[in-house]
Amino acid sequence: MDTQWPRWEVFKQDTPSKPHQAVGSVHAADPEHALLTARNIFARRPQAVSMWVARAEDIYAWTQEEIVEAQGLKTESYAASVSSPSKYLVFRKTSHKRSMTFVDHVGEVEARTPGEALEQAQAQFTDAETLAWWIVPADKVYRSDPSLEMVESWFAPAKDKTYKQQQYYATVGSHISKHKLGRGVEDEE
Amino acid sequence: MKSEVREALIAKLTALADDEVILAHRASEWTGHAPILEEDIALANIAQDELGHATLWYGLRQQLDGCDSDQLAFFREAGEYRNTELVELPKGDWAFTMLRQFLFDLYETLWLQSAKNSSYQPLADAANKVLREERFHLQHTYAWVERLGLGTEESNQRMQHALDMQWGYAQQLFVPTPGEDLLVAEGMVPDLGAIKTQWLEYSTKHLQNAGLKLPINPGYQPTSRACHTEHLWSILAEMQSTARWDTEAKVW
Repeated sequence: MDTQWPRWEVFKQDTPSKPHQAVGSVHAADPEHALLTARNIFARRPQAVSMWVARAEDIYAWTQEEIVEAQGLKTESYAASVSSPSKYLVFRKTSHKRSMTFVDHVGEVEARTPGEALEQAQAQFTDAETLAWWIVPADKVYRSDPSLEMVESWFAPAKDKTYKQQQYYATVGSHISKHKLGRGVEDEE
Repeated sequence: MKSEVREALIAKLTALADDEVILAHRASEWTGHAPILEEDIALANIAQDELGHATLWYGLRQQLDGCDSDQLAFFREAGEYRNTELVELPKGDWAFTMLRQFLFDLYETLWLQSAKNSSYQPLADAANKVLREERFHLQHTYAWVERLGLGTEESNQRMQHALDMQWGYAQQLFVPTPGEDLLVAEGMVPDLGAIKTQWLEYSTKHLQNAGLKLPINPGYQPTSRACHTEHLWSILAEMQSTARWDTEAKVW
């Protein structure tokens, strides 16, 4: 029996005007558990107003290289099995520079298959070069409770809290520089 | 403030803070040992939050008698602590810890929801602040009770065992502190009888929905916060050791 919990990707929204951004993943037994865990791991300190989770296996991901390689491998083969279109959430990565952000939510498309959703996304979201796409069926994305009471409970306490630099705890023991007289090494952040 | 009201308020604030300190320390014992990393972090968060609540309650007491919260936490003997026996019981297994946290979080949430209307403004303000975090704790432990109760035969049994053990102890949360009736009369704190009614209704429903049976015989029910199990001595010995070895250690 597989005793491992599935992996969930976590999307955090810092303020109402910013997109949900992929911040990392958690292991959890079910959607609600994943959201609770995600809040603890990713929103205890930094500011947040909303969180989404989706099972890693429900996310269709393509890098730019994969898309180029797969040219000609058209999606009709499995498009036939689904007749009516449904909603997909589109996320994309546009930079290698930002260490904390892999992909940002850019919008929704209606499509019959993930592949079709990708084609629509490529046609629709053209304002920046995209290095990678994530396409997630909308019904596979679970969202934190948007009610004011729950937003307060989940995210407001973090606003009053601050990180403490290591130096804050430095009164027990002393920095190594104190033992190297005359060398005057400053404490590192 | 009349002196007997003041004394009663000091006793109540001490009881509130002591519950949080000891529960926080029990929760912190899981750090590095929880069943999965995500839950390890989650419970460490809860422990820190509870410790923050204790600081708030000790702070309110300080406004009344100038006490020092570190002195209270680290230099009082077990016999001077006024926490419930429920929170000092050893952490047990994950089911035991999650159930205790659920029973306590539920009590605390209900109490705070009422206490935010306290006629004593500093208490009302603190209750408002703590309530936000406590609602989240309750969601977390509520989910765990449900998942363990309805999980496997083993997880259900472990949960049932924890419930059989804790149910009587939990009733002590609703035993008033000395002079608490004066505070209730002044509208400063909620009437514990009313809180207990809500707690019983909510907890019974959730526990039964989670496939657990309420103990027919509730067992030992402690009645005075001046009495403790032997476990309080050992937890304090561990918790207070650093402060007592080196009283000059200002910050850790």
